[in-house]
Amino acid sequence: MNAVGPSSDVGDTPEEAVAARLKQAAAMFGRSLHIRTVDTGSCAVCESEIRLLLAPHYDLHRLGFFFTPAPRHADLLMVTGPAVRAMDVALQKTYAAMPEPKVVIAVGACPLGGVYAEDALVHGSLDKVLPVDVWAPGCPPSPLALLHGLLVAVGRLAEKVGLLNFWEEDVAR
Amino acid sequence: MSIWFLRGLRRGVVTTRYPAVTDRWAAQLPSPPLFVPAHLTAELVERLVAICPSKALAREGAYLVLDVGACTACGRCLKAAGPAARPSGVFELAATSRERLLKRIPVKGGPP
Repeated sequence: MNAVGPSSDVGDTPEEAVAARLKQAAAMFGRSLHIRTVDTGSCAVCESEIRLLLAPHYDLHRLGFFFTPAPRHADLLMVTGPAVRAMDVALQKTYAAMPEPKVVIAVGACPLGGVYAEDALVHGSLDKVLPVDVWAPGCPPSPLALLHGLLVAVGRLAEKVGLLNFWEEDVAR
Repeated sequence: MSIWFLRGLRRGVVTTRYPAVTDRWAAQLPSPPLFVPAHLTAELVERLVAICPSKALAREGAYLVLDVGACTACGRCLKAAGPAARPSGVFELAATSRERLLKRIPVKGGPP
């Protein structure tokens, strides 16, 4: 159930559509892009990590990423928190105000459905409100993890988690 | 021309597109668990599923399903599992599909 559907989808399956949108976005965002963040009820630790992206150690600006307070100037939306229902209108207005092509990143375990179950107050998962392009797990995701997520979102880095299986044979240690 | 640019040239410091070498401490950040199926008994799996506060672990037949997206890396399963789990140290977890974050881990002695 996407309350606000993307208008420029191509491809049959949702995954193909996402891949096509990311490709289109990557072509547009080869050089630089602007990021808008929306907090949908997070504990603010994700915001703290997002803020750290601007610290000299990570220096997001060198990669051509900038934060903007205006959704009309934004190409990429980073959403934190478990998508509280009270933020529905704000989220949809923000998404609608962003020019095409646009990319949505769900930041942290909350919008990925890890912390709060769906109930009267929260959706529990961001994809019930907006079409999510990139999922960035972590509680919170470290700035380096966010950087990886951003570069995956604009097609400058390949995602890695699909190749990992999170188990290994017993090794004599 | 900025003096910083000349200094950078002289000292060989360049701006990278992405860290060529990740920080040494990156592997010590809280990270999702990595399981060792040889020690993963059915009984242990039940216990792990019960103690996971974010419901990132679930039993599915002969598999333990780890939802990397839901994992908050709290470390409770690491404490309870002993040799059956250790921190994975992986932080580059961004995925373009939610399903890719679901990992199926074989349970010891389960039906094939």
